[in-house]
Amino acid sequence: MRWVETTTTVRFNEVDQWGIAWHGHYFAWFELARMKVLEKFSLLPEEFTALGFIAPVVSAHCEFKKNALTNDLITIRAHVLKPQTASLTFRFEILRQTDEALLARGETVQVLQRLDGTMIYKLSGMLKTRMESMVRYFWP
Amino acid sequence: MQRPEQNLMEFTARLKELIIRVLRLEDIGPEDIIDSEPLFGEGLGLDSIDALELVVAIEKEYGVEIPDAEVGRHAFASMNALAGFILEKETTKKTSDALG
Repeated sequence: MRWVETTTTVRFNEVDQWGIAWHGHYFAWFELARMKVLEKFSLLPEEFTALGFIAPVVSAHCEFKKNALTNDLITIRAHVLKPQTASLTFRFEILRQTDEALLARGETVQVLQRLDGTMIYKLSGMLKTRMESMVRYFWP
Repeated sequence: MQRPEQNLMEFTARLKELIIRVLRLEDIGPEDIIDSEPLFGEGLGLDSIDALELVVAIEKEYGVEIPDAEVGRHAFASMNALAGFILEKETTKKTSDALG
């Protein structure tokens, strides 16, 4: 199983009055890695829309293991699970670069809807092709 | 080919067991699922992720496809509706298979 990685620095405006990264920002960091994955497989939000779909998040989860502090360099990595249903599950990890300590671990689940809001239960066409090639990349 | 009428209750009972097993509804027994009540929202209160899992299980078990929520709205309207939907599609499938 592979990961796709990206990096960022914890900024002053992302920490709370104790100097610790505010918990909500972890989801924004997950998003950096998600976009990097989606870009690789031509599934960015605008590309989803061009195919006639959107992929809203229906569940988001995060476990906080260690504090991220101002100016910490962090690695955010993501992969996609093998789908059992017509959905898209991302797993994420955030690591501190200096010692590779695991700071957080998370997961989001996205369902697929046509532009008119109808949820689809079975993948087909180009959406299926691109999603399958994305899954194959992570699970060769 | 029509399933004998007396088998409908038995079919619905098996379908309820499938739903309970697939969705891991630990506190619910087949007798708690009312045949005329909706499976989603009010009624049994299933959500969109449950729908996706149920669709996969129904296709695996009965070879019947529910491609999207538009079809699902009718199929999942109630236990009675779901049983009727599967039986009808199964019959259509068998007929068209037989015709080649």
